Amino acid sequence: MTGLLLSLVLIPAAAAVAAAWSTARAVRAIAVAASALTAAGAVWAATTVWSGPYRDLFGELPWLAGIADSLVFGVLLDPLSTTLLLVVTLIGFLTVLYSTAYLSTANRGHATPDHDQPRYYFWLLAFLASMTGVALSPNYLQLFVFWEMTTVCSYALISFYRDRDGLRAGFKALVMTGAGGMFFLVALLILFVNTGSFDFDAAARLPGPLRGWFVVLLMVASWAKAAQVPFHTWLPDAMAAPTPISAYLHAAAMVKAGVFLMARTVAAGWEVPLPVALVLGGMALLTIFVALSFYFVQDDLKRLLAYSTIAHLGYVLLGIALGGLGSSTALRGGILHILCHGFGKATLFLCAGAVAYATGSRSISALGGVARSMPLTATAFFVGTAAVTGIPPFACFWSKLMILAGALELPGAIGPTLVVVLLAESLISFSWMLYVGQKVFFGATTPVAMVHKDPPPAMSISLVVLMLGCLAAPAVGLALLWR
Amino acid sequence: MSWNVGAVVGLALLNAALVLVLAPLAEGVMRKLRALIHSRKGPPIRQPYLDLAKLLAKEDLRVTPGLFYAVMPSLTLGAVLVLATLVPMGARPPLGFAGDVVVLLYVTAASAVLMMLTAFASRSPYAFVGGSREMMLLMAVEPVMAVALVTGAVKAGSLSAGAIMEWNAANGPTLSMAVAGFALLLALQAQAGRLPFDIPEADQEIMGGTFIEQSGPRLALFRWAMWAKQLVVALLLVELFVPWPRFGLLPVDLVLALVKAMVVLLLVAVIDAVNPRLRIDQAISYYAKVAFSSLAALAFAVIGM
Amino acid sequence: MAAQSLLGWCVALLGVGAAASLIVSRRRELAGWVALVAVAIAWVPLALLVVAGFSRGVPEFDVLALPSLGARLAVAVDPLSALFLAVTAVIALAAVLYSVHYMTHYRADGVAKFYPVLLVFFAATIGVLVTQDLLFFLVFWELMTLTSFFLVIFERESPASQRAGLKYFVITHAATLCMLAAFLLLWRQSGSFHLAAAREAMGVMLVERPLTAHLVLLLLLIGFATKAGVLPMGDWLPDAHPVAPSGMSAVLSGALVKLGIYGLIRVFCGLLPAASSFGWGVVIALAGTGSLLVGALTALRQNDSKRLLAFSTIGQIGYICLALGVGVACLAEQPALAVVALAGALLHLVNHACFKSCLFMGAGAVLFRTGERDLDRLGGLWHQMPATAGSTTVGSLALAGVPPFNGFASKWLIICSCLLAGLQRPIFMVLGLVALFASLATLAYVLKVLGAVFFGAAQRRFVVDEVPVSMALPQVALAGLCVLLGVLPQLPLRLVSPAVTAAVPGGIPAAGDVLGGLLGISITVDGATVAGWAPLLVLATGIVLSALVWGLQRMGGATVREVPVWNCGEEHDSGIVRYAASSFYLPFKQAIAGIYPRLSLRAPRFPSPVRRTLEMDSWLYLPVARLMERVSHSTSRLHVGVPQVYLMWIVLGAIIVVGLVMVVAG
Repeated sequence: MTGLLLSLVLIPAAAAVAAAWSTARAVRAIAVAASALTAAGAVWAATTVWSGPYRDLFGELPWLAGIADSLVFGVLLDPLSTTLLLVVTLIGFLTVLYSTAYLSTANRGHATPDHDQPRYYFWLLAFLASMTGVALSPNYLQLFVFWEMTTVCSYALISFYRDRDGLRAGFKALVMTGAGGMFFLVALLILFVNTGSFDFDAAARLPGPLRGWFVVLLMVASWAKAAQVPFHTWLPDAMAAPTPISAYLHAAAMVKAGVFLMARTVAAGWEVPLPVALVLGGMALLTIFVALSFYFVQDDLKRLLAYSTIAHLGYVLLGIALGGLGSSTALRGGILHILCHGFGKATLFLCAGAVAYATGSRSISALGGVARSMPLTATAFFVGTAAVTGIPPFACFWSKLMILAGALELPGAIGPTLVVVLLAESLISFSWMLYVGQKVFFGATTPVAMVHKDPPPAMSISLVVLMLGCLAAPAVGLALLWR
Repeated sequence: MSWNVGAVVGLALLNAALVLVLAPLAEGVMRKLRALIHSRKGPPIRQPYLDLAKLLAKEDLRVTPGLFYAVMPSLTLGAVLVLATLVPMGARPPLGFAGDVVVLLYVTAASAVLMMLTAFASRSPYAFVGGSREMMLLMAVEPVMAVALVTGAVKAGSLSAGAIMEWNAANGPTLSMAVAGFALLLALQAQAGRLPFDIPEADQEIMGGTFIEQSGPRLALFRWAMWAKQLVVALLLVELFVPWPRFGLLPVDLVLALVKAMVVLLLVAVIDAVNPRLRIDQAISYYAKVAFSSLAALAFAVIGM
Repeated sequence: MAAQSLLGWCVALLGVGAAASLIVSRRRELAGWVALVAVAIAWVPLALLVVAGFSRGVPEFDVLALPSLGARLAVAVDPLSALFLAVTAVIALAAVLYSVHYMTHYRADGVAKFYPVLLVFFAATIGVLVTQDLLFFLVFWELMTLTSFFLVIFERESPASQRAGLKYFVITHAATLCMLAAFLLLWRQSGSFHLAAAREAMGVMLVERPLTAHLVLLLLLIGFATKAGVLPMGDWLPDAHPVAPSGMSAVLSGALVKLGIYGLIRVFCGLLPAASSFGWGVVIALAGTGSLLVGALTALRQNDSKRLLAFSTIGQIGYICLALGVGVACLAEQPALAVVALAGALLHLVNHACFKSCLFMGAGAVLFRTGERDLDRLGGLWHQMPATAGSTTVGSLALAGVPPFNGFASKWLIICSCLLAGLQRPIFMVLGLVALFASLATLAYVLKVLGAVFFGAAQRRFVVDEVPVSMALPQVALAGLCVLLGVLPQLPLRLVSPAVTAAVPGGIPAAGDVLGGLLGISITVDGATVAGWAPLLVLATGIVLSALVWGLQRMGGATVREVPVWNCGEEHDSGIVRYAASSFYLPFKQAIAGIYPRLSLRAPRFPSPVRRTLEMDSWLYLPVARLMERVSHSTSRLHVGVPQVYLMWIVLGAIIVVGLVMVVAG
């Protein structure tokens, strides 16, 4: 089992190295094969360890021997990490598949020459490896290492086109998430110095006030990584990245690492200090509405989706915060939201990518009537919208429902208040997304949108699978988290 | 139901036949009165019969082919005669058990509907104008009738016209019934298509409006239907709101009812003779006021006055 | 066969039909026939289920469980569900048959987004009607909304369709979220989403936390009334109906909005204990009355045939709500009248499904042949489209409640229940009178439609044929149903009565004795017959008398001659000398001009200070970054390349460090 889980990290890592040295034609095959293998392995691992968490520590740091628990590297697969693992590997595979068609000279939005391909797949596979590493980390130290690796990969991929905007955005993302990483490091040091351990549950041994600061530091780190207020500004700029990257890193996977950290912390079984949980929840709520306020002024389809991502990460953190306040349903709902939102938002991004691929435009005001020539993309976009905004029976309905139900488990008026506030947000964001969807896909066909057909098969297949995922994800997630 | 089938059928036929036969007579009397008020000699009282006979024998000019258009006049008069069987005349209405006051209201409207459909089917723009006006007038008048009848229903605790009549006969005059009866009297003016509310026909401006394309036997039937309707509504008014004295003997009560109805119709004729025609918007606002005022009757009835 | 497998077969057949029609969607007509066959076959198990529902009820069984939330997909069919299922099935079949040809006239839009979606919509509707679990109810409900949204926006390139669809989905989604909130509050009390548990929870909440309980009821009222099209939330309806394909408009009006009523019945008869239902009954009745008055009067002002019918739907739903409200209000004190009112509501619902679907199909048929929905441009189609004209006339008269058509029977029940309830509570009497008046307004607008479309003259003469049989047949069949149900109201009443009893858990005392009558309906309260309607008898009288009168008409032996319309002797083209639909009832329309105000909604704009605050880049990060840049820039100026200067910095640094260490060390 350990071997299987390790291979989930090693296969993409090895493939990344291989990709760096191969030709443009071979690199696609390598990437697809590696990511498919990883996804299959992840599914296999998930089904094998369905019955209970699996934990195995084996690696040690010689210079830490005697000071701390010596085994600091290993694997951990519990429902939480399974959730993230499934998101990362499945959507990763679909992203790679999609990229094989998207990154080509036929792309009207961003033609990519062949000699750039190895670089792209190297970083993408490296990211996949580091992300599975994040998911499987058994303690804070390993988590931190892979966490920082994702940051680096993210930087490289945002700046992939090497244009001015891309470079600026990549640097901005690097600085802001890197700064967040510093907070993580400080928290790590506090934990290590005081308890001599990196374990997730070691924080229980921290003295009271220090534990509060520890969580606050982690919280800041996760805000930076997950682009929460006040660090939300890097994510929209990161949309300068190729669209598959936006879908994968900046909607489904990397930003989820931030909320994953908080989920790990809150799920570790010790009590999160009440004020910290309140701050976490309050900021999540604030983020949701700040992000919402940016919807109405966006003309770039991807930027709109980026703000929506920010809001939904807020949902996850809200669920986690409610979990910190004592509602296990909300915590699981938040984790479920990682899965559900991953599929929904990836669908939307890949649709936006498909539209940009075919028309060369991402501008909401310039596009119109795209559905005439791209019915599949249109279908996928509306499925994605329904999934993200929580139209039953699609994905996010279930996770939002769980979060709301969890909120109502708490005593007092906090639950009903949250229900009202969140449902209002859902309605507004739904309305706007629907409006945008109709604007882009229906109505009279604008000159920009005069194209002939749906994207190539590789992209279409990804879209179809993601649509199915939008329906299936909550079923899997509910079964996984409430077994 | 204590009525046997024979009595029901007989009484129904009696009601229908009476209305059919006496309606032109009432019209003739009204014309005579109207002429007297105008200081004219006026036609003989039997003139409406003569008119009908003449029209029935004349050529039947139709602007629209088809069965639908052909049977409209008879359906219209038939509907009015059905109305007659729902209205008490000296006794409980023969079909009272088959239709209460709500049915009665709708059947009243149904005859108007048939007239309007005929008007529209005749394709003349004047007929359209007439039909449109007729509908507006109906919208203004029917609520008044409804309030009046419902007031009776409240008093009697039943929606059956016969029950209302019997309750009123047994309990003597009340304020609410008086107000309601007065409202119904005002509504009668328009239901009868009399000045100042003959707006849908308005011979001088839209040349008969609803009936512009009707001639010969068709016109005869429509005229007959109009006359029958005014008689029926007058009978309804007197039987429900002024049912006294009551002898419990059908012929006596029937004759009494007819005489009272005739008196009411003469009143209508007087109003008709001394008023100019209103515009349709004036008529609407007039009846709107009447309808709201007549709610007073309902209020009185609810508080038991 | 067991109920499970019946339901399974029904849904599976719909699914197969959806897939099959998707596959053959390039051939429009074929896809339509495939869908029709699928629906027709799927309705066989459904019909068995309905029969079982009426005869003995299908006991509850679980399809799926979600123990984490106390939700399980429990399915049962009682007479109330069965009634709605039957209505939906009939309308669905008629609509699909109608659509086979109708959908061929869309040139730009393929049927791939019509039939499959429509069949999924039917499946979702069935799901809504049989589910006993609130959560899964909501899931099916929203699936139904989602699919119907796509059916409404079928015409891809028409901005009006898109706007209407957006409005529809946003408003109804808001309603769904209200329902979700209410269900969650109930769940908080009971820990289960099951209907029976919710009922208990409601009972407890009414005692312990009445405020929350009434909030839940209010949310549910808003939720269901929105779907039902009760004003003001029903504002989506007049926009959505005209733009949908006519078959879908028929389904929208015939089946979809009825589900809102279904929900209201389930909540206010089933969930709410009778003891505390009076106030809510009055609220529903008032909402219904407002809706029926405004709906009817606004319909009067419309010149678009389908939009007019949409407003008319609002009005008729108002009637149903009025009756429902009266029924709910009377449940505790006058159960006999509650039976009358609820039967009136359900009967009107059945009747409305028949005539309104028929009318939408008629309007669609006219649209199909002439391409016009504007009443001002239509006219004179009576002889060219006799089947459409005839069925529309029957449907219109039924809608207006002209006896003996079916609309009258139910309106009669509704108005009688209002008036009878009004004997105790005068407010209902006033509402009944308003309803009477609105039915006159209804009459006015249907006459306008008939006059404008089928009689009269058109501006531009249409030379058109009757629609194909597959489009005429459903219209004629529904019109026939209007006559049949009108003449023999005791037949539908036999289905409606058990549904009324099933709507109220525990039943209504002595419900069986209230409505009776061999030849029609009679209302018996406390042993006394207070009202009656025997259409057969009245109709027979009318026919006999009319026949006699016909003899009278022909007595004179008049010769018949056809003549042209007389325009005061002038020769005019009938296209010029005509009375346009917009001229109808002008003074009256002017008097009610302000009755339906329009609101316009725009995307929220934030005040600029808030905007600036939220743009954190501009006032926080970029300034900090620039500051860093400036600091490092000035630092770089220290690098002058002279060794002595560097040496000086080193010495200075050493002194500072030593100083610090000394201070710290003490």
